[in-house]
Parts: sequence; structure tokens; C-alpha cells
Amino acid sequence: MSSFSRSAQQWATFARSWFLIDAKMQPPGKIATMCSVRLQGKHKPIYHALSDCGDHVVVINTRHIAFSGNKWEQKVYSSHTGYPGGFKQVTAAQLHLKDPKAIVKLAVYGMLPKNLHRRTMMQRLHIFPDDELPDDIRANLTEELPQPREIPRKLSEYTQEEIDAFPRLWTPPEDYKMK
Amino acid sequence: MATRSMLRSVWTSFAGLKLGPTGTNVKLQQRINTPQLSALTIQSRGIRQVVEKQEGKTTTVKGQILDIPAAPQPPNPAAKCPIYKWNLQNKYNYTDVLLLSQFIRSDGGMLPRRITGLCPEEHRKIVICVQMAHRAGLLPDHKPKLPEGHVSKKPKPQLNRYLTRWSIDSVKPIYKTGLKWCKKRMAVGHPALKNNVRYGVKPLYLKH
Repeated sequence: MSSFSRSAQQWATFARSWFLIDAKMQPPGKIATMCSVRLQGKHKPIYHALSDCGDHVVVINTRHIAFSGNKWEQKVYSSHTGYPGGFKQVTAAQLHLKDPKAIVKLAVYGMLPKNLHRRTMMQRLHIFPDDELPDDIRANLTEELPQPREIPRKLSEYTQEEIDAFPRLWTPPEDYKMK
Repeated sequence: MATRSMLRSVWTSFAGLKLGPTGTNVKLQQRINTPQLSALTIQSRGIRQVVEKQEGKTTTVKGQILDIPAAPQPPNPAAKCPIYKWNLQNKYNYTDVLLLSQFIRSDGGMLPRRITGLCPEEHRKIVICVQMAHRAGLLPDHKPKLPEGHVSKKPKPQLNRYLTRWSIDSVKPIYKTGLKWCKKRMAVGHPALKNNVRYGVKPLYLKH
């Protein structure tokens, strides 16, 4: 802000902030784009690729990630150990059960620029499968980012008044039972 | 009343048919004919609820008229399909659970089209939306009843999903996705809902 002193303004522009993203019921790709933008520092007007202006990003609840479509069964993560016969292909569901952090980590890794800065940016990304955070990271958090996807409400989450307020579209015939 | 007298006249006009126990015959006739008659406007005196009371040796059977509050009038009552009556065509999605729950049974299955009165295209769209809602876990109370003491052999992994077109067990992993010009895309959503109203600029993205 222009009302700050010169030193405070300098600090506010160049300080490294810590963002928090809740990945519950969110698509991992959209979470990963938000993470990669902030890890590179592209959300800042002072961005330059060489000036190391990226921030820290903390992602929580990655165990409760939601894929659209049938991607849990169709998406395949491949890797090769380097040894003959070492080509491994795992579906997203199997990988998620083995390691709940891996899908978000691989998504962010693929979205960062393919240079030597990528490893340092990945070190600034902190992924946690559940709600629990270590206290030192929790003390550093500055801002929580809004979730990219609106979570739809289940039928059990609607109150009885809302269900009654919705009009009946059709009336069943009198001799029909079994609903 | 008028319909019952009409039915009787139809019955008696059939020569050679024995009216034995007339009560049961009339009931059978009513059951065959009522779906056709419901298409016309029947003037009924109201649905009655049968209430039995036992007072010593006498049992009184009453037909009480239920007070059904007047339902709001649909904006387009001339149409046949309920979705067209309420002008909801192209406006609903898998998230509109309040709408979808009116067309499903308590165990999650769809009600037949001849009962609900939906037109075939809208019935298919509702079926697709109900399937997507079930797979997204938006209808938790409409699961099929398992027999008592049923223990599942393997606990299934609880993975969150939405806009799933195909059933979970029917899909195979894509081991070779192919090059950019011939990529095997993963299907999201359903093309039957491509005419839905979109309030944003972004087009509908079905092939991920």
C-alpha cells in the first residue's frame, strides 16, 4: 500500500508468502494450476523467471480429491525403473491408494516449467493428505485460496423445508404404489 | 361417478359376458381402463383414505377425504411432459437432486416412463443425470436394501468422483493414450446434456 513506509512497502512486495489450498472434493488438475501459478510467482506484477519470486503453497486433504469422469479407472501413470522389464503402469485409483499425495505432486510437477528451478519450486510445495498440519507450517500461513470447484449438495444436506418448497412436477396415478 | 356409469354401460353392452360377482369384474375393468382414462380430465371428488374403527362388536369403515393443498400451477400446462410443463428443458444437471429425486424409487431405481409421463428424450436425460448423481454420491439414502447380516467381502475404496459417464466396473485403463492427433480421450459428462443452458463463455468440454 502506498501509505506504508518505504521499507515496509519493499518488504510487502518481495516477501515470500504461504498459501493454503483445501483440495477436498476438488479436481487435482485445477488445484495443480493454482499451485504452479503461485510457485512460479506469476501472480505477482514483479514476476521475472530469474528473480526467484515464487511463494510457498500448502495443499491439504489430498486424500479426498475428486476426479471428473472415469479418470480413476482410465488415467494411467507410467514410470520406468531403468532396468529391463521395469516399465510400470498404475491406474490413478491404485496410485492414490498407495500414496495419497502422489497425484497432486505429479500434476504440479508436470505444470511447472521444465528447467532447473522446478526442483526448488517443488521443495516449496507442501502436500498433506489430511487436515493435520505441523505447527510451524500452520504459523506461516498467510492466505487461503478459494476452491476452484463448487461442491454440489447431497440430498441429505437439504432441509425438509427446502425439499417441501420444491414443487411436485407430476402426480402419480391412484392405483400405483411402490415408491 | 360419471365414469363408473360409463363403464357399466360399456360392460352391459357386451353380449354373452356373464356378470357373476359384479364387484370383482368392475374392479378388473377399472384397472385395465384407468391409465387410458387418466389422459382425459376426470372429475374426481378427491382421494379418500380408508380408516377402520372397532367399537366393541361394530366396525365402522370410513372414507376420509384428505385435504390436498392446491399445488402451484405449472407455467406451461398445455405440454404433456412434466419437464416441459415447468419449462425446465435444458436447465437441469446432475446436481439438481431435488428434481431428480422425484423420479426415482427409494432404492435408487428409476420410475417407469408410463407412470411419470415423461417424454422419451427427457426420460433418457433424467436417467443419465440420476446415474451421474448416484456415482457422485449425491443420493446417499437411495441405496438398494441389502439382506440382513450382509458383510461385503472386500471393502471398496471410497474415491470421490463427479460427471462419470460410464459405470465404474465397465471401464478399462488407457495404457496407451496415443499421439496428440490420435489421442484416446477420457469421457467426462454426457453428450445428451450438450444443449443445456450455459451462463459462462467457456464451451462444454466432454473429451478430457
